[in-house]
Amino acid sequence: MINQMKVYIYFLIMCMSVFFTSVSYAQEKEAKLTISFTQIDSVNVCKALVTSDEKGVKDVSVKLFVHRLFGLLPVGEAVSTDENGIAIFKFPSDIPAESNGKLSVIAKVEDDDNYGSLDAKGEINWGIVKNLSGSEKMERSLSASRERAPIYFMVTSDLIILGIWGTLIYIVFQVFKIKRISNANKKNN
Amino acid sequence: MSQKNITSDNHPHETFTQEEYMIMKDDLLRPIQKIGLAGKIWIAFLVMICLAGIYAYYIQETKSKYVTVSLRDYTMWGVYISNFVFFVALSLIGVLMSAVLKLTHFEWYRPLSRIAEIIAVAAIMLAGVSIVAAMGRPDRLYYLVTHGRIQSPIVWDILVILTYVTTSIVLLFIPLIPSLSTCRNHLKNMPKWQMKMYEIFSFGWEGSAEQWKILKKSVRILTIMVVPLGVSIHTVTAWLFATTLRSEWDSTNFGAYFVSGAFLLGVAGMVVAVFVFRKAYKLEKYLTPMHFDKLGMALVFMSWVYIYFNINEYLVPAYKMDGLHANHLLNLFIGDEAFFYWSVILFGMGIPAILPLFPAMRKPLPLAIIAIGVVIAAWFKRYLIVIPGLVHPYLPIQDVPDSWKHYSPSLVEMTIVSATFAAMLLIVTLFSRFFPIISVWEVAEGKLEGKDEIINYK
Repeated sequence: MINQMKVYIYFLIMCMSVFFTSVSYAQEKEAKLTISFTQIDSVNVCKALVTSDEKGVKDVSVKLFVHRLFGLLPVGEAVSTDENGIAIFKFPSDIPAESNGKLSVIAKVEDDDNYGSLDAKGEINWGIVKNLSGSEKMERSLSASRERAPIYFMVTSDLIILGIWGTLIYIVFQVFKIKRISNANKKNN
Repeated sequence: MSQKNITSDNHPHETFTQEEYMIMKDDLLRPIQKIGLAGKIWIAFLVMICLAGIYAYYIQETKSKYVTVSLRDYTMWGVYISNFVFFVALSLIGVLMSAVLKLTHFEWYRPLSRIAEIIAVAAIMLAGVSIVAAMGRPDRLYYLVTHGRIQSPIVWDILVILTYVTTSIVLLFIPLIPSLSTCRNHLKNMPKWQMKMYEIFSFGWEGSAEQWKILKKSVRILTIMVVPLGVSIHTVTAWLFATTLRSEWDSTNFGAYFVSGAFLLGVAGMVVAVFVFRKAYKLEKYLTPMHFDKLGMALVFMSWVYIYFNINEYLVPAYKMDGLHANHLLNLFIGDEAFFYWSVILFGMGIPAILPLFPAMRKPLPLAIIAIGVVIAAWFKRYLIVIPGLVHPYLPIQDVPDSWKHYSPSLVEMTIVSATFAAMLLIVTLFSRFFPIISVWEVAEGKLEGKDEIINYK
């Protein structure tokens, strides 16, 4: 009975190892992710293509992101590839561009059962270019940079600081005058 | 009567010739002449706490602050900042107990002014130290100068503290010049360096009419200037809080609320200091029950002013009870902090507003006990202003680490805070060991000018 049990466990371990080997082999299938940008009926569209052995792969979930200062901003929901291996994203038209006037777009496949993780990156000039060298940056305000403090504020501040420190320096000179008077008296005597 | 110059004895640089002055000078120089065993133990004790604080700061700056300090993303301002606010408040003691009384001709300020001014200098210095202890990267303080914006309250805070420290030191030092001349002429058997120090810093004082004129004028200008400066420094401290969008600090009342609290703390601090100096240095002849009587009345008045601003600060939002502010207020009134909050109200405002109304409570000992309660409550009051509200974040975040939701200061933080207190007391103690803590000439001058109400009722 015990021997039978041992054989059974041995058989089970063998089956499991064959299964996991095949699964892990499956994960190592090579795939490629590329992105391209087109316009369809004046709508901006980003296409992500997943290929393996030069053929499109179906049903792979692709996510699209835009690069921002502190991380990646997701663009819409994840989209699965069709039979040609293409996932199509409608690209929004209201994302502010980076300082070079372009958007850095990243497509990702995350932890796919067969193909693991993939990513691809592309640049396109679909972002809104904000003219930051314009008037709002140059305007003087309390919230502006130190060079752009309001004139009235700087003048008042400087007058207060100069007035008070000027008085303090004047007083210190007075103390030395006390010393001078005593020195002069000594000389006279 | 005017001041008389030059006596016939060997000390030609004295100003007042009256017999009374000669006795007074002996009384007031005695604490400098000799330090008793108790005095030495006290100084050693304070030095030890200061050293412990320096070591704690070394640990804080060399190890991870996540380990050494209890500050987290929610409670990003802790006990260092509340300690800073306390010390700034305490520094206003110089404004109230010296400048305001002097300018309004309350003659009993004369024996008190120097005590108030040295406490002000020490407190404002330690306020600066508290800010540096609170900085994550103290080495970057320099960038505040090179990159700071003049529109920012933090720049004004540093600026106004620097100005106030300088003004307070000058205001302490100038009336000290004649006293230093007294020390130079009358102290005997003192170390050479000490006599040299008196010699240098008395600036060749001879007490000539011209010198007196300059001294009086300088003191007057500084006394007038220190009042708006003191009020500004604490108002800017209040604005550091009030200019943020946090609901518990979002108040137009904050500047006046802080200043009135500072004046109450100033009076209470003065009572404690006068009581201690009177006992320790046997100055009963100069710091009399009359001073306690007057300070007791001032304590009642300032308590009511502070109660008024507290009602404005808490009752109006409590009537509206909106959103996050309600959360904070209920926590103080009936929640976790309620016992703490109501104790602070009772000892910090209730008792000093009522008890000293009775003359028996304005005697030195009972008043000193009430004042100690006010000082302790004042420290915790700043803790309650700064910390509990921060635990309620604006953006509710899920899966927050438990340590973010509570704040209790770490051992390192408490050691540094204790050291700031010890350092303040040490500065005041050492000062009183080298310089007369009561301004001899100011008291003598008042007497000479026939202003009787200096140390006793007319």
